[in-house]
Amino acid sequence: MKQFILYTFLGLMALTVVAWALIPRRVVDGKVALTWTSDDNPARRGQITLFNQEHPKLKLTLDPDNSDMEKVIVQSIAGVGPDLFDSYDPLQLTAYVKSGIAWDITDELKKRGIDVNKTVWDVTKPDIELDGRVYGCPTNASGNALWCNKDLFDKAGVPIPKGPWQWRQFIPVAKKLTVIDPTGRNSQYGILIDWTGDWEQFCRQWGGHLYSPNGTKCTLDSPQCVAAVQFMSDLVNKYKVAPSASEQETMATAGGWGSGTISLFEGGHFATAIGGRWWLCTMRTEPSLHLAACECPYQDVQVYMGGAKGTLINKNSPYREQALDFSLYELSKPYNDLINHQADAMGPVIKYCYSPEFMHDPSYPDEIYNDVWRDALKYSVQGQISPYMNPVEQNLITTAEIQLVESGDKTAAEAMHDAAAKINAEIQQNISRDPALKARYDREIEQGRP
Amino acid sequence: MMKKNKGDLLPALGFIAPNFIGFLIFTVGPVIFSLVVAFTSWNLEEPGPLKFVGFGNFIDLAHDENFHLYMLNTIYMMIGIPISIAGSLGLALLLSQKLKGIVIYRTLFYLPSFTSGVALMILWINLYNPEFGPINSILNSFFSAAHVAGHAPDWLLSTRNLFGMDVEHVRFTSKQFGLGARDAIIIMGVWMGLGGNNMLLYLAALTNVPEDLYEAAKIDGAAKWALFKNVTWPQLAPTTFFISVISLIGGFQAGFEQARVMTQGGPANTTTTISYYIYSQAFEQFKMGYASAISWVLFVIISVMTIINWKLGNRESAY
Repeated sequence: MKQFILYTFLGLMALTVVAWALIPRRVVDGKVALTWTSDDNPARRGQITLFNQEHPKLKLTLDPDNSDMEKVIVQSIAGVGPDLFDSYDPLQLTAYVKSGIAWDITDELKKRGIDVNKTVWDVTKPDIELDGRVYGCPTNASGNALWCNKDLFDKAGVPIPKGPWQWRQFIPVAKKLTVIDPTGRNSQYGILIDWTGDWEQFCRQWGGHLYSPNGTKCTLDSPQCVAAVQFMSDLVNKYKVAPSASEQETMATAGGWGSGTISLFEGGHFATAIGGRWWLCTMRTEPSLHLAACECPYQDVQVYMGGAKGTLINKNSPYREQALDFSLYELSKPYNDLINHQADAMGPVIKYCYSPEFMHDPSYPDEIYNDVWRDALKYSVQGQISPYMNPVEQNLITTAEIQLVESGDKTAAEAMHDAAAKINAEIQQNISRDPALKARYDREIEQGRP
Repeated sequence: MMKKNKGDLLPALGFIAPNFIGFLIFTVGPVIFSLVVAFTSWNLEEPGPLKFVGFGNFIDLAHDENFHLYMLNTIYMMIGIPISIAGSLGLALLLSQKLKGIVIYRTLFYLPSFTSGVALMILWINLYNPEFGPINSILNSFFSAAHVAGHAPDWLLSTRNLFGMDVEHVRFTSKQFGLGARDAIIIMGVWMGLGGNNMLLYLAALTNVPEDLYEAAKIDGAAKWALFKNVTWPQLAPTTFFISVISLIGGFQAGFEQARVMTQGGPANTTTTISYYIYSQAFEQFKMGYASAISWVLFVIISVMTIINWKLGNRESAY
């Protein structure tokens, strides 16, 4: 028995030695190995391949399993974090900076004569800049426009609209594109709206905001926000050009499995849909779908919701200087051309979106509407967040209230009033728990900057 | 009596050590850590030393209306448990008959248990489709044939429920009376639970009922119902007690998969249960301290309910 235990112990020791031996070496064949935690997709792999080709002394690999924020922070603090990681929104950027793992590259860029502010699209900046300091470079940039199903437009004899245009101009067009079958059911709708995803764009276009400028108060109960959500409801119930929740569910089945907005649009029952250029990553695989795009209508303010992703550098990485090469690569022409070609939204650098290659990609000759996406980016903004409110919690509240409008259980005014009340109550609770946050809040209020 | 041999102690410890060390590190350690964390404001967005907040998280929880709502959702969804247990018993009684090909029937009824839960949920999403789903097609045909001006439920899209529970407050309102997402999940749960492990446990227990008890009862003139009431049911009491305890514990922990796959906790959070709330607080909002506090409150609730069940149930089943 004692021998058995001894052999077991020795066996475990041998396995430990093997495990040590298998720890990845940072320098292999003269190449420095860099790790990037990001989502895995064919576009990402293409971006990595190009980087490795352009940087023969570096070998970048993707780690898709450790991209969650909590993993990145814990691993980076422990000294085993990635060299590069993604920031999807200002909240993540703040968390990375506060935790001390994001490397401030402002001076490094200045040394190289790069002014990121003048180089990249405005919509990307909240993901890489905090309090005037730069912590990375944007991976891509996206702004909403209106996708058009060209076949349905042609069938209805409606030309693809040219922007800028307003929602009141959109209604008659959408009505022409809405088809009711002999049984009285809608077989086709003028527009597909994603209630829980699009409501903020409608609010902004009506002149409303989720928060006051400094985020001390939720202003969803403003007349503008109420009118915006009421209009969303009117698209379904008054103008009957968009499906109700249950009709949308029905369309999901009719158009093939997948309740996502892109799958629904691909089903061919919607003439238009609010979305970004990145939809092409999926829709290019649907050859029967003939697409066009036009500017999204607006109401009082020409503004569209957009988004981006930034790649930050681990301050604790022993190879952060080499990782900086990746940030510089994100600002290069080859990288931006690749992003534009892949349709992983759009390249983050403004000037490379004005190239002839971007306007007419020989691989995709039907995509003659790329200028629409570029123009949309000029008016694109990211979703508003408040330093006093967790965005996930805000999203839970607003999603629930918007769903109640969608299901007809509440009016737009009731839902927006309740959403604002709940978020404001949460803000008060959050500042009561955190003295530093309360001090900041009080300072803003005292100085008349709500 | 076996003589204790001190020389066996070391090898015995050696055998249990790998498992025990793993248990200490990966189970006991995190459980104790989560108890400590429940008294802190640990938030992954702001890593740093843990800040002790005393009973702050528990006090917040007592005033958290979402917690009350989600607890109510959890309890509401447990109304399927007795139905499922009764169904399992009925099915086990049927499948304990000595019929030709009974093994095939048993296998068929056990099928949902070894099919992927996610696949079944996706199947049920389609069954619940408000317009083209088979369930509503049948209901609408029935309404049409019976000339009833009824409207089939919107199932997973509806906030309505059998008790008329309000969406945003712990109260009842006639406006919410009907069938909705919560009921849809309960029905699916009953279907998935009918032919599962509970049925197997009952089948095993039925084979252990002594045949002479039935024979004696028959001599006394007992009919089928009397046989079940006076022989089968009392003999199955320990199994029923075991199933009830396990189902109750499972019921309080349930709802995560369904919410994640079928409804994302909606519509309007009506299918968010405590387990999904814990996940959301910990891994979406990064409030580890608060999520740990909820977990411990859930643990206490489950423990108290199990003790009550044990006290009440043991009287019936211990004979």
